[in-house]
Amino acid sequence: MQQLQNSSSSNQTESPVTAIQSWLVSQLSDVLSIDSSTIDVKQPLTRYGLDSIDAVTLVGDLEDWLDLELPSTLLWDYPTIEKASTYLVQEFDVSV
Amino acid sequence: MKELKQYQLAERLEQALGNPSDPKSRMSFHQTAQLDEAESFPEQEIDWLYNWQLQHYYIPEDCGGRFKSFEEFVAFVRVLSRRDLNIAIAFTTLFWSNLAWMAGTEAQKQTLAEAMKKEHVAMCLAYSERDHGSDLVGGSVTAQKVEGGYLLNGEKWPINRATISQFVFVLGRTDPAGGNRGLTLFMVDKRQLDPSQYYNLPKIKTLGIRAADMSGIGFNNCFIPESVRLGEEGQGLEFALEGFQITRSLCAAFAQGATDTALRTTLNFALSRRLYNKTVVEMPHARRTLANAFIDILTCDCVNIGAARGFHVAPEQFSVWSAVDKYFVPDTLERAVNDVSVVLGARFYMRDEHDWGVFQKMLRDNAIISMFDGSSVVNLHALILQRRQLAKKRARRQPKQIAAIQARLAQSFSLTQPLPTFVPQKLELFSRGADDVLQGLETMLEELGQLQAGGVAPDILNQLRSFGQIILEELDAQDALIAESAFEHGHDQSFESFELAKQYCRLHAATACLLMWLHNRQVLGDFFAQGEWLVLALHRLLAPLRASLKPMPPVYYEHAAQELLRLHAEDKLFSIVPFQLAKSSTQETHNHATAPELQLL
Repeated sequence: MQQLQNSSSSNQTESPVTAIQSWLVSQLSDVLSIDSSTIDVKQPLTRYGLDSIDAVTLVGDLEDWLDLELPSTLLWDYPTIEKASTYLVQEFDVSV
Repeated sequence: MKELKQYQLAERLEQALGNPSDPKSRMSFHQTAQLDEAESFPEQEIDWLYNWQLQHYYIPEDCGGRFKSFEEFVAFVRVLSRRDLNIAIAFTTLFWSNLAWMAGTEAQKQTLAEAMKKEHVAMCLAYSERDHGSDLVGGSVTAQKVEGGYLLNGEKWPINRATISQFVFVLGRTDPAGGNRGLTLFMVDKRQLDPSQYYNLPKIKTLGIRAADMSGIGFNNCFIPESVRLGEEGQGLEFALEGFQITRSLCAAFAQGATDTALRTTLNFALSRRLYNKTVVEMPHARRTLANAFIDILTCDCVNIGAARGFHVAPEQFSVWSAVDKYFVPDTLERAVNDVSVVLGARFYMRDEHDWGVFQKMLRDNAIISMFDGSSVVNLHALILQRRQLAKKRARRQPKQIAAIQARLAQSFSLTQPLPTFVPQKLELFSRGADDVLQGLETMLEELGQLQAGGVAPDILNQLRSFGQIILEELDAQDALIAESAFEHGHDQSFESFELAKQYCRLHAATACLLMWLHNRQVLGDFFAQGEWLVLALHRLLAPLRASLKPMPPVYYEHAAQELLRLHAEDKLFSIVPFQLAKSSTQETHNHATAPELQLL
C-alpha cells in the first residue's frame, strides 16, 4: 500500500482522494501560474491550458510523488482532477 | 576493419545502383537533376527499388519481411539519400508502415505486408492540416461513426505522397468533444474508396525536393469500413506520437546521405581547382573547413547509429533519444553543408555547373529534414518538458540501475553485439526520466580512466579524460540549474529553456561519441581507434560551452583531412563505418585523389 508521505497536506484525517486532489491542484496552480482557488476538480484539465504532452509530463510528477509506475495516458483517460484521484485510489490502493 | 553484416545490404544496394557521378548510372546526379528541374515524380526509379525488393526491408520478419535492425535500415537509407532526396524520401514514406506493425491486428499487418511486397503499394501520413500545423489535437478532420464504419470529412495538407500512394494513414476526430482521446487512426486503402468521396489537392511548389508529390487529400462524406481502424477509438494521438519516435530517428539518415554528397562534390572541386599555384584543398582554410565537416559527420554517426541500435535495446526511452537525434543530426549537418559551401565558391549556387549542380540541390533538399516529422522546435520542446524528470532520475540512480544502464549501453553501442528484435509496443510517451546515454556517463568515464594507453597515445587519452570531465561538470551544472528553476508546462517555454535543451543535446552527442569509440576501438579500423577524430569531435561540441578551451593540435586536423581524402579517393562512405561505395566507371575525376601524402598545414 502506498503512503502519501509527501502530501502537501499533513491533515491526518484527509482521505487519499482528497490528498491527491490537493496535490494535483497545487501542481497545476504552480506550473500554470494560476490561483489554486480557481481550479475546479470537476473540470477537464485542458480547460486550464494543460495540453496532451503536459498531461503526460504531469503523470511523471505524480509517479515521483507516489513512487508508483502509472499509465502515461492516465490524465487523458481520467481528464479531471476528481476522476484521476478516484481512479488512483481505486486501482492502486493508495492511502494516506 | 571487421566485417559488419548489418552494412552488407547497403553495400549491395550501392553496387546495384552504381556510382551517381557516372551519368549512365541509375539515379545519377545528372538524371536526378533533370527530374528535379522538371518537378517530375521519380516513378521509374521508385519502381526499380520495388523490383529490387527493397520494400521487404521495411517489413518485420514476423510479418513476412526482411527488416532486421534500424542500424541496417539507416545505412541503406543513407545510400539512397546520397543520390537524391526526392527518391529517398518518396520511397521511405514506407516507414509509416511502422504504425501498422505497432498498432495493427494480425490481419491488418498481413494485408499491408502483402500489398507492399506484391502490389508495390506506397503510403502517406495524413496528420497535418492547413490551419493547425503540428497541433494534432486541434485538427478538424472528423471521422463520424456510422453503421459498419466511419464517414471522413475535411482536408489534410501538406502531405508528402498524398496523391501518388495507395494507402493513407489518416488521423480523424471521432469524439466531437475533441480532447486527447478524441482522435482515431485509420489505415485506409484508397483503392477501396468511392472516388467521388475523396479528392487530392494540387502539388505544392517547394524550395527543395521539387520532384516530390507534396500535396494534400480531402474527404467528403467518405465512407471507410471499421476494419481499417488501427487500435481502438481514441488511441490515435498515442499511436501518432509513438510512431513519430521511430520516424524521427530515421529522418536523420536522409541528412547523413545528403551531407556525404555535399562534401564529396566539394572535394571533387577542391582537389582539381588550382588557384595561386595550389589546389584549393591545399589551402589551410579550405582544408580545415573540409576536415571540420568530416568530423561533424562522424559525430552524427555516433549519435544516429547509437540511436538506431538503441531502439532495439531501450525503446521505452525514445521520447528522449529520438528528440535528441532528430534535433541534433539534421541541425548539425545542415550547418556542415552550409559551412563547406564556401570552399565551392560561386559554384555552390549554380544549378547546372560542377557535378550537375548537385551541391545546391542537396543544400535545398536537405533543408526540409530538420522541419518534417516534428521540427527542431517541436523536438526541443519535447525534451524541455522531460528535462526536470531526467535530472531527478539521474540524481536518484542506484548501483543496480547503473549496472543495468552500463549493460544496455554496451549493447546499444557495440556494433558487433547482436540486437534484440525491435518491439514497437514498448515505446512510451515519456521516458520516466531515463536517458541511458547521459545517465551512464560516470561509469563510462570510469572505463575511460581505467583504459591502458596501449594502442592509444597518452596525449589523446588524457585529452579524452579531460573532455569527459567537462561533459560531467556541464551536465551537473545544468541539472542543478533545472532543479532550482521554476518548471513551465505548455508552450510558454522561454528562449533560455530551448538553449539549455540544445546544450543537453550537445552533451548527449559528446557522450555518444565517447561510447561509440570505447565500444568499437577493435572493430572500426586504425583511424577510428587512434582517437584524434574523437578529440576534435569533443572539442567542436564543447567549445561553445567552454570558451576557455585551447585550440587542438593542427596535426589532428591534418590526419582527419588525410583520412577524408583517402575515403574520397577510394570511394568509401564518409562514416565511422566507411563501407565501399560504387566506383566510377570513368575514373578521371577520382584519380587525383589517390594522392598524396599531403603536407602538414
